[in-house]
Amino acid sequence: MSALLQRRPATTPSEPSSSGASRPVGKRPAPGGRRRENLAAYGFLAPWFLGLVFITAGPLLASLYFSFTDYSLIGDHAWVGLDNYERMLSDTRLHSALKVTFVYVFVSVPLQLALALALAMVLDRGVRGLPLYRSVYYLPSLLGGSVAIAILWRQVFGANGLINQVLGFFGIQGEGWVSHPDYALGTLIVLNVWTFGAPMVIFLAGLRQIPAMYYEAAAVDGAGPVHRFWNITVPMLTPIIFFNLVLQIINAFQTFTQAFIVSGGTGGPSDSTLFYTLYLYQRGFGAFDMGYASAMAWLLLMIIGGFTAVNFLASKYWVFYGD
Amino acid sequence: MRAHPGSGRPQARRRHPFLSVAAGVGAVLMAATACGDSGSDDGTVELRFSWWGADDRHSTTQQVIDLFEAENPGIKIVPDYTDWGGYWDRLATSTAADDAPDIITQEERYLREYGDRGALLDLGELGEHLDLSGIDPLVAESGDLDGKTFGVATGVNAYAILADPQAFEEAGVEMPDDSSWTWQDYVEISAEIAEATDGEIVGTQSMSYNETGFQIFARQRGENLYAEDGSLGFSQETLTEWFAITQELLDNGGQPSASESVEIESGGPDQSVLATNQGAMAHFWTNQLGGISASSGRDIELLRYPGETEHERTGMYFKPAMFYSISSGTDHPEEAARFVDFLLNSNEAAELILADRGLPANVNVRAHILNSLPEADARSAVFLSEIEDTIVDGNPPPPIGAGQVVEITKRLSDEMAFGNLTPAEAAEQFMAEVEQATGAS
Repeated sequence: MSALLQRRPATTPSEPSSSGASRPVGKRPAPGGRRRENLAAYGFLAPWFLGLVFITAGPLLASLYFSFTDYSLIGDHAWVGLDNYERMLSDTRLHSALKVTFVYVFVSVPLQLALALALAMVLDRGVRGLPLYRSVYYLPSLLGGSVAIAILWRQVFGANGLINQVLGFFGIQGEGWVSHPDYALGTLIVLNVWTFGAPMVIFLAGLRQIPAMYYEAAAVDGAGPVHRFWNITVPMLTPIIFFNLVLQIINAFQTFTQAFIVSGGTGGPSDSTLFYTLYLYQRGFGAFDMGYASAMAWLLLMIIGGFTAVNFLASKYWVFYGD
Repeated sequence: MRAHPGSGRPQARRRHPFLSVAAGVGAVLMAATACGDSGSDDGTVELRFSWWGADDRHSTTQQVIDLFEAENPGIKIVPDYTDWGGYWDRLATSTAADDAPDIITQEERYLREYGDRGALLDLGELGEHLDLSGIDPLVAESGDLDGKTFGVATGVNAYAILADPQAFEEAGVEMPDDSSWTWQDYVEISAEIAEATDGEIVGTQSMSYNETGFQIFARQRGENLYAEDGSLGFSQETLTEWFAITQELLDNGGQPSASESVEIESGGPDQSVLATNQGAMAHFWTNQLGGISASSGRDIELLRYPGETEHERTGMYFKPAMFYSISSGTDHPEEAARFVDFLLNSNEAAELILADRGLPANVNVRAHILNSLPEADARSAVFLSEIEDTIVDGNPPPPIGAGQVVEITKRLSDEMAFGNLTPAEAAEQFMAEVEQATGAS
């Protein structure tokens, strides 16, 4: 937009609207050309728009409606008002699912971001073969949510898995990490932290944006690396940190695949990996309780919406936009 | 969008406008892409047949399909299979989307869930195309509900103890006499094996993950998992005792630790302690003997359940291994019925399927293949005929919602094994949760 604004004075007044498309809202739209261009734009938008209406908005609103019914997936349904929402209050498995999910979000996201930032800073110092490292570290982000990695994870952390074989080498008898309620969630947190590549690449780009002169000036004034980190890097990066934080929290709340595969769909052992979305799936598709599952989906939407709102409100106090 | 959710008339049970709109659009899209799925230009009828299982079942079933197609040129059967774990989620989703397979393999605990909601055809109405007269009377009515036949049994099964004689030998422990052994014997023998081998071989795999074992235990005491009316048919004391046996085996080392058990359980029959030669006993269905024997590379034997002579009556029973059922949404009920008829009543099909779906339900077909069964299956056939005389009765149909009990049983077993619940607390919670799931309170 700013490019357009800058360019406008350069056009001569003798040809006011020949380049109609570049004008914001035309007072006198050139007949024909403009409409044709609009049509083309709508044409290109149509696939996305249809997708939005029928694949996203339609089911979204349908689930809102179903959340007030006893819809069972098969057969008819009846309106039950707020029953599903009331049932949530006394559903102890729902409460434990919320607990598991909150622990997961609040432990894995900060760890993941810290690791991502640390590695981004190492790479930013100009390592030889940077593109290679960047790709290698980014790879887990592409794979981490996949079924294959989740299966691999189960093997690695299993009773006879890689981890225990290494521990055995040092004479330590390890647990079956994914099959013990005290550790199972931990292995999934490790899995999420391991997928630090995406935020790392974003951090790396952010670090590149910080003008070198700040660091030079600080060095001249005698600031050490710790000072430079806290007083230059962190403040200059806050918009990037904020962006990563919002994105990763939303992602973490919706974690499903890893928990589903690692626990074989049960959320076990003894509900220790029963993520919110996994419980939702169990209710909807296992127990034919789709009305309740729909209500759960809307509660999750509200929770994520709430956290994102708080994040944005709080950002006023710590995010620094430079100008 | 005219169909606004707030404006719906909520009181009536009806399909919501949203669904109609969505269905309408779906239909338009389907038509536009011309992907009609149940027939083609040359008049061939296409039917989808769904089942669960492991690789060998998939390949034999494909052979059966090929055979049927060769005999019925106008019908094409499309296979639709997954493992047990994913089967029910997938079936629920496709049924909800009005895209259920034409011929559906069903199981006792889910059959009525679908039948009751109108998702299955009454097989009794297909008369001439589907002959049900040869079915073993013991399971002939096992798929009925309110006078309608929603499923027909594929074969007969019994839940029993599978034992590995070689493991017993390595431990230097004698095989029990299964005509008279008690639950106390079961616990002691298991502990003895683990002790003798220093834990290298466990006595038994955890039995608390499957409510079927408890059903036999309860029947031995004249109780049952479910009563005739679908309510709970047992006392809390009985269930507490049942869980206490597992607790005792955990304490004395007769069975794998809690976290090992979780891992073994999630691996299915192929990862059972018998299949991996790490244990002497496990609880399974008789039709699983063949697969587990093959995985273990040993001659696994079948034992009667402990405690069959301890109380007033026996607890073991014949169960329909699976059911064949036909979706009420099929466009070609006649052809689907002919395929089910072929699966049930044809000797050629049975020669391929053998005892994989239980010992064939059709008694004539069963007699036909009895001599051609592979060794393990032949042993289970002999076993079934041996116990037949000791079986008192069958079970009332499980209530709607019984499918959820699978998950409840597993979860509470874990809770107890990891020490979060005592056997008594596990029993109490089990009863509360099952009553809620089956609406029997």
